[in-house]
Amino acid sequence: MSRTDSLRSLEVILESFLDRAVSLKAGRLQVLDGINRLDEIACASRGPDGIGRVELSDRIGDWFARHHGWIEDTSLRPADRNRLGDMLAEIRQEIARTPAPMQTPATEKITAEIDRWQARMKAVPVAGPEPSASRKLVLRKGPESLEEAGVHPSAPDSISLFAASLKAVTGLFEDSGRDRLHLMSVLNDSLKSATLQKNTEALLLSALIIYYLKHNGYMVEPFVKRLKEAERLQKGAESHA
Amino acid sequence: MLEPHEKAYLTALQALREKQYQQAAGFFDRAAEFFADNKEFCLLRETTRLLLEVKKEIAAAEGYENDALMIEEVFTDGQETILL
Repeated sequence: MSRTDSLRSLEVILESFLDRAVSLKAGRLQVLDGINRLDEIACASRGPDGIGRVELSDRIGDWFARHHGWIEDTSLRPADRNRLGDMLAEIRQEIARTPAPMQTPATEKITAEIDRWQARMKAVPVAGPEPSASRKLVLRKGPESLEEAGVHPSAPDSISLFAASLKAVTGLFEDSGRDRLHLMSVLNDSLKSATLQKNTEALLLSALIIYYLKHNGYMVEPFVKRLKEAERLQKGAESHA
Repeated sequence: MLEPHEKAYLTALQALREKQYQQAAGFFDRAAEFFADNKEFCLLRETTRLLLEVKKEIAAAEGYENDALMIEEVFTDGQETILL
């Protein structure tokens, strides 16, 4: 493997690590993004035109529409709920300061919605940590051998093995496809991973995508060549192992 | 209200999600002072920096140093192109 190949391999590994790390934080990221947007709206509401501006009304209306699920969400952290409550209160206060002639049906609707949120958020119980008495760790010991488990050694469970492989391939596809706009980009990433990292799941995923594209009338010859090359490299790696 | 360093960390994560690694590194730097003891933050920041260095090395090895965009202008029949 040349120096450039090693660097490329390291690049794929690091990108893959960062992808997975960020995807693990996807839920938290969504919450923080929602809080950040509301924070920006609260800052804008302190501007000279207050919340009466059409644009601002639209923005907060859009925010309520996007995050309507949070009103009943018990998984939001108490600190998040407090922050949301403070920001909504701030916006509510700015609306109250707006002179009557500048009040519009939209601002009245926003006020009513804020009141509804604040009332509901107080009513919904906050999910706290489970009481320690109810937390229990159970360790179970599996059978020592296949005979004990009632499985004949010469009969490997091919269905389970295939199901596990399919699950791994699906996970890989979900990770690769998240930020891509076309299946060919996912295929390109997957072939890179199959070639540089000698990743078997990536090889299987590549083959599946190529067959799918072929079935849908795409020209796949260049990808087939790369797939064969990746397969050759992986077989070579196995025989050297 | 979100503090500036919290916003910077959030924006860095969003940039990572979009694979904008250079941008992410910049936002990590802005938030670094406040998250110096946060192991997860440090791991993500250092990995991003390492990735950028690797990309730079690859670019250098392949002859595309300093992220320069190579533009070649082609004239037909010895005539200069008139830009409108």
